[in-house]
Amino acid sequence: MSEQVYVVSAAMIPFGKHRSSSYVGLAVSPLIDALRTAGIDKSDVDAVYVGHSYGGMMTGQRITKEIGLGTVPTLNVDNACSSGASALHEAWTAIAQGQAEVAVVIGVEKLTQFGGGTLPLSPEDREVKQGLVMPAVYAMRATRYLYENDADVTDLARVSVKARRHGALNPFAQFRQEVTVEQVLAARPVADPLTLLMCCPTGDGAAVTVLASERARARLRLPRGIRVAASVLHSGQVEEGFRDMTKPEISYDSARDAYAQAGIGPDDLDLIELHDAFSIAELVYYEAFGLTGKRSAAALLRDGRTTFGGDVVVNPSGGLLAKGHPVGASGVAQVAEAFWQLTGQAGARQVPGARWALTHVTGGGTAGLDHGACTVHVFEAA
Amino acid sequence: MAGDEAVASAPVADLDSDGLLGDFPAGRRLVGTRCDQCGAAMIGTRVVCSACVSQAVSRIALPAAGVLYSFTRLHGLGGGAGVRPVGYVDLDLESGRGVRTLADLREGAVPLRPDMRVVFGTDGDDWFFTPAESADEAGSSDE
Repeated sequence: MSEQVYVVSAAMIPFGKHRSSSYVGLAVSPLIDALRTAGIDKSDVDAVYVGHSYGGMMTGQRITKEIGLGTVPTLNVDNACSSGASALHEAWTAIAQGQAEVAVVIGVEKLTQFGGGTLPLSPEDREVKQGLVMPAVYAMRATRYLYENDADVTDLARVSVKARRHGALNPFAQFRQEVTVEQVLAARPVADPLTLLMCCPTGDGAAVTVLASERARARLRLPRGIRVAASVLHSGQVEEGFRDMTKPEISYDSARDAYAQAGIGPDDLDLIELHDAFSIAELVYYEAFGLTGKRSAAALLRDGRTTFGGDVVVNPSGGLLAKGHPVGASGVAQVAEAFWQLTGQAGARQVPGARWALTHVTGGGTAGLDHGACTVHVFEAA
Repeated sequence: MAGDEAVASAPVADLDSDGLLGDFPAGRRLVGTRCDQCGAAMIGTRVVCSACVSQAVSRIALPAAGVLYSFTRLHGLGGGAGVRPVGYVDLDLESGRGVRTLADLREGAVPLRPDMRVVFGTDGDDWFFTPAESADEAGSSDE
């Protein structure tokens, strides 16, 4: 890898239930805005990468044709919840290897098409045939975590409270109302010990970023943007027997490789956007990313070290719990948040002086795998 | 290699499998697969070892007892309207190489907790695990 790669623009729609919009309707506006704010013409784009899981055939081409962006390679990427970030990884790879100079990354999903309920998983999967749903996976992770650690269900609630507090500052968040620990605990039970307010919502969304090489940035006089310091994509490794669900190795390994690629450590980070699809995930990932040692994640949260004014702000956007989680869009939306934070455009939720950001998103729902995919990116203010 | 005949690969009829429940001399058990080459064990009917990629594998009966790793109670999710307890059960084999299975759980007088012993049971074509202590009292399991 020789070329430095930069994110030079980002745009997204507010996540929510946009029942009147198709995949095209969700994505076309941020696509136009991302190109416009980058100051490039569609003819400058060398490739398009589109992350989605439920959009059907040629989702990317259906979107780009609306603005007459054709002929260049358009690749549709499905890695479940990690689809958008995986698409960004592919764009980064193409530019770093000199195969493209300017690439557009689109993340888009429309979950309201399913009418509610849990995320549809592959009916061919053994555990899905047995009735497995994603809340069950995270609930079992939570049961075991609370059994082994100095934490209790109120710590799971505190994660949601923090997410909602951050989301209240984010105009792109699906939920902008703050909640209390008591409200979270009293919410409808979904999968013990998880209540409804410990689970990410169903919704629709789209986010778009433009990536460019150093050379293209100079040639086209593009914005400074942010530098992609690391881009890591791992796949899950099957385990037929015992697996420690409180230590998801795919996220540990991906973070380790991302830190090595970026040449930084967890103490350098100013903000993290992590995959808090369910509140237990945030505690587990504090440990995976080296923010704290084993068994001390809850203390980190309780002490306020992962919110504004703490050591590192985790999910300043509100995360998946408050901002929303339209699967294929989530990874790109995390990068949009990193872009705005590192370029000083995050408004009321700005992390002061932010220089380093990490984004993390997993894709799961396969028997025998911890998660099917995990994507970690590290960004530096340019 | 140039000059060799093309290999004729064939599809695996994995959709014909009857699921995880099978009949064995010891009675009804969960079906597993053991690799004849490296000894690895797997849940269900498999045609290749995920550890060493050997296709020399044998159908085995999985143990009728194990340890509950973790569990949850689903509220109206996963195909049921009521509360449905499910969990991951670790089944240890003689080789020391275990198998984990997702399982429905039946709660008895003893509350569920991680690391408790659970035993296999059937009810018609349904199968489940239940706390060993509850099964001892009720005499309802296969073990």
